[in-house]
Amino acid sequence: MTAPILELRAATKRYAGVPAIDGIDFDLARGEIHAILGENGAGKSTLTKVMAGVVGLTSGRMFIEGKEVQPQTPNQAHKLGIAMVFQETSLVPTMTVAQNLFLGNEPYFNRLRGIYIEAQQFLQSLQFDVDPTTVVSLLGAAKKQMVEIARAVLNNAKIIIFDEPTATLTPEEKQHFFHLVGQLKSRAVSVIFISHALEEALSISDRITVLRDAKHIVTDRTSNFDRDRIIKAMVGRDLSQTLYGQHKTSVRKAGRQMLSIQNLRMASLVKNNSLSVFAGQVTGMFGLVGSGRTETFKVVAGLLKRDFMHGGEIDFNGHATRYMVPSPAVRDGIAYVTEDRKLEGFFETKSIAGNIYLGLLAKLRGKRSLVSNREAGRVGENWIKRLNIRATSKDVKAVELSGGNQQKVVIAKALVQDPELIIFDEPTRGVDVGAIAEIHKLINQLADSGKAVVVISSYLPEVMSLSDRILVFRKGKVVEEFSGTEATEEKIMYAAIH
Amino acid sequence: MMEALSRMRDRFLGRGDAAITIPIFDGALKPNRVLEDAEQIIHVPSAEDLATDGTKVFIADGPRVLRLDDHSLEEVTKFSHDIAALACMPGGGFVAALKSGELRISGGFADGVKWTSVEGRPLRSVNSIALRRNGRLLVTDGSMQFDQDHWCHDLMSRGQSGRLIELNPIDLSSKVLAKNLSYAFGACEFNQDVWVCESWKHRILQCQAGKDSGVVLGGLPAYPSRISASSDGGYWLTAFIGRTQLVEFVLREPHYRKRMMAEIDPEYWIAPALNSGNSFLEPLQGAGMKMRGVLKPWAPPRSYGLVIKLSPSGTVQYSFHSRLDGANHGIVAAVECKGDLIVLSKGSGRLLRLPVAESERLVMQ
Repeated sequence: MTAPILELRAATKRYAGVPAIDGIDFDLARGEIHAILGENGAGKSTLTKVMAGVVGLTSGRMFIEGKEVQPQTPNQAHKLGIAMVFQETSLVPTMTVAQNLFLGNEPYFNRLRGIYIEAQQFLQSLQFDVDPTTVVSLLGAAKKQMVEIARAVLNNAKIIIFDEPTATLTPEEKQHFFHLVGQLKSRAVSVIFISHALEEALSISDRITVLRDAKHIVTDRTSNFDRDRIIKAMVGRDLSQTLYGQHKTSVRKAGRQMLSIQNLRMASLVKNNSLSVFAGQVTGMFGLVGSGRTETFKVVAGLLKRDFMHGGEIDFNGHATRYMVPSPAVRDGIAYVTEDRKLEGFFETKSIAGNIYLGLLAKLRGKRSLVSNREAGRVGENWIKRLNIRATSKDVKAVELSGGNQQKVVIAKALVQDPELIIFDEPTRGVDVGAIAEIHKLINQLADSGKAVVVISSYLPEVMSLSDRILVFRKGKVVEEFSGTEATEEKIMYAAIH
Repeated sequence: MMEALSRMRDRFLGRGDAAITIPIFDGALKPNRVLEDAEQIIHVPSAEDLATDGTKVFIADGPRVLRLDDHSLEEVTKFSHDIAALACMPGGGFVAALKSGELRISGGFADGVKWTSVEGRPLRSVNSIALRRNGRLLVTDGSMQFDQDHWCHDLMSRGQSGRLIELNPIDLSSKVLAKNLSYAFGACEFNQDVWVCESWKHRILQCQAGKDSGVVLGGLPAYPSRISASSDGGYWLTAFIGRTQLVEFVLREPHYRKRMMAEIDPEYWIAPALNSGNSFLEPLQGAGMKMRGVLKPWAPPRSYGLVIKLSPSGTVQYSFHSRLDGANHGIVAAVECKGDLIVLSKGSGRLLRLPVAESERLVMQ
C-alpha cells in the first residue's frame, strides 16, 4: 500500500466530557475509497468532522501526507485539500450551478458569462451532465451532489468526505454516483464515505472501518468482509437474521377495514389509486421513487389535497373523509411518521419531551387551554422509556440526538396521539441497524395490538420482512397485491417495473 | 333545498354519490387464480343455473335438468321451455323458472303447480329460486321490464323494477317481500329474515318482516348474483363481473347511454359482459389494460367473475377468482355438495369443481 495521505493517531473528541470518538487510529491511502460504518452515535460523523475542520480534536494527532496538521475551520481543511459533502447539500439554492462552483473564489470583476464558460468546461472535463446556468433549487438530489463533488474537485480537494451520499438518491442516481466516485478514484482523489447501506459499502469501497460506541473496532480490506461480519462488528451481536433474513411463513389475519381509498387522484402523481388497509396488519407499500406511495398517504393524512374535482374517495373507519389540513386527521386517529424527519418530523431546537408533547397537543387541540411543563416532562419520560430513546435526559434537544433516536422521537410524537392508523414513511431511513431492529419490533407490536399499520419503504427486504400484505405501486397507483408469505423480490420488482 | 344544492355540488365536483369510484378488490376480495386453476368438469355452454339436494348437483341446461355424475351428465327431467333458474324441492322434484315467464314445479308433492304472475304482475325475469325452511320458495324477479337474457338492457336503463317474491307451493299463495329493487338476483333465508342481492346497487339487503330493508353487505366491487348456503352455516355468493369506472361513468351519462342503446349493437356496448375478447370492437372488460399488446391482468379491478365466501353473519371471509387474463369468467352460480364447490362459469360455459377445504387453505395461507 502507498503511504497514507491522511492519518489520525489516538484521535479523541469529547463533548462535555463525553467522548464522541475515543482514541481512534485511522489512515487513508491515496486514491482509496474508504467506508466508515457504525450505528448512529458510533462517532462516524464526529470523526469526519474532525478531518474536515468542523470540530477540533480534544487530544490526538492528525497528519496530511506525513505532515502534522490541526485544521480548526473548514476553510483551513479546504486549503489542506479536504472537502466534505454533507447529506444536506451546502449549495445556495437561489444561485446558478456556476455561481455555486465559484462561490468564495470569484475574481474581482465577476462576469457571469465568463464563469458559465469556465464552469461548462470544467463540468465537461468531469463528464458531469449538469447545465451551469441552471438555478440549483431546480436540480434533483443527484445533480446537486454532482455540483458538490465538482466544487470539491475544483478546489483541488485531495480527500473528499461524503456523509450518507446515497440516502436521497433513486436507484439509477445511486449507480451514477458510484460511477462518479470511480472517476474520482481514477484521478487519485481519496474518498471517505459514511453510509448505512451496507451493500453500497461492500460494493464500492476498498477498505472498511467500523466504529462502535466512539471506539475503533476494525479496519480491513472490503474483500475480507461480508454483511454479517459488518453487522456483528457494528452492533456487537448478530442481527442480520433478526432483521431481514427470515422468510415470512405466516401473516396476521386482517381485521376490519380501517381505510378504503377509491380512485384517488392528485395531480399527475396519484392516478386513480385504490387500496384498503385493515386493522391488526402491517400493510407494506413498495414502489420505485415517484410511484405515488408517499403522496397517496399524505393525502390520507391531510398533508396534501386530492384533486378538487373527481379526486376520488377516502373512507376512514367507515366515514368519508376529505382532510384539508392534518389536524382533523390527527383527531380522527391517523398518524403520519414522515420520511423527512429533519424537515417535517420535529423541532430541532426543542427538547425531546417538548417535541413529544407537541404531538399530544395536536390531538388535544381545543381541549387544552394551558400548556403544562410538568405534563410534558411526564409524557416525555414515559415515551423515552417505552421507545428506549438513548439520551441523557428528556430535556436534550432533538438536534443533539443520533439519527435513530431522532426517528424514535418522531415515532413517539405520533404514537402519543394513540392513533388507529399509523403510516410509517421510510421508517428506518438513515437509521443504524440496532435502531432498525427496535423500530421493526415496535411496528410489529403495533399491528399485534390491533392497530392498522402502513409501512412505506424503498428497501425491499424491509417491506418483505415486516408486511402481512404488500401493495406494489407503479406510476401513481397500486398495480399488485401480495400476501407476505407469497411475496418474493422478483415478483414485487416485476410488478413495480412492468 | 340544501339537499338538492348539495347533490348539484356533488354532481359538479364528482363527490359523494356522484363520485365515479369503485371499491378495490383487496383484503378478503384479493384476486387469485383459484377458479382458473379449478378442475373443469364438463363443457355446458347453455347452462343457466345449478341446484343441489345435498347429495347430487343438478344443472339447468336449456329445457333439460341434468344430473352431474362425476364427469358425466344425465338427463333427469325436461321442461317445456328453456330454464332460467332451478331449485330442488324437498322430498324430490324440481321447481324451475322458465324463460317463457312461467314458474313450474315438476315432481314431488306439488307436481304441476305453476305461477305466471304475482300480485297481478307477470313474472318477467325470474333468475333465482331458493327454499325456505318452512317449505316456501324465495324467488327473485330481476326486472319487470326486460327478460333475463336482456339483463344488460336493464342495467343500462338503470332499471329499478326487481322484486323479491315468496311463494307457497301448498296453498299457492304469493307475496312480494320487496320491490323496486335494482335488479334482484339471488336470495336466501337468514334466520327469520331473507337476504336478497341487488345487483345494480352492488349490495345484499336484509328484508325483515314489517321493517325496512337494511344493507348486510354493501359497496361490493362486483355485481352480486346468486347466493347459496355453505356447509359451515355461511354462504356462497357469486358475482359475475367486477365493476369498472368506465361503465360507472357511462351509467351517469343518460344521453350517451340512450344513444348507445339506440344505435350500437349490444355486443359492443360499454357495459359488463359475461365474456369478452371476441372482437376488437368490444370494450375491455374488468378495467383491463393493454400495454404494447399485452393484457395487464392486475389493472384494478382485476377480477372477471368470482365466488365470495360469506360468514354466517355476512362478512366476507375469502373469495375465489378468475382473473382478467383467464377464461372462466362470468360466474353465475355456485353450490356446495359433499365437500366440493361446483361453480358455473357462464362466460366460458364450463362447470368447475373446487374442493372447499383445500381451496380455502390455498387462499387463506
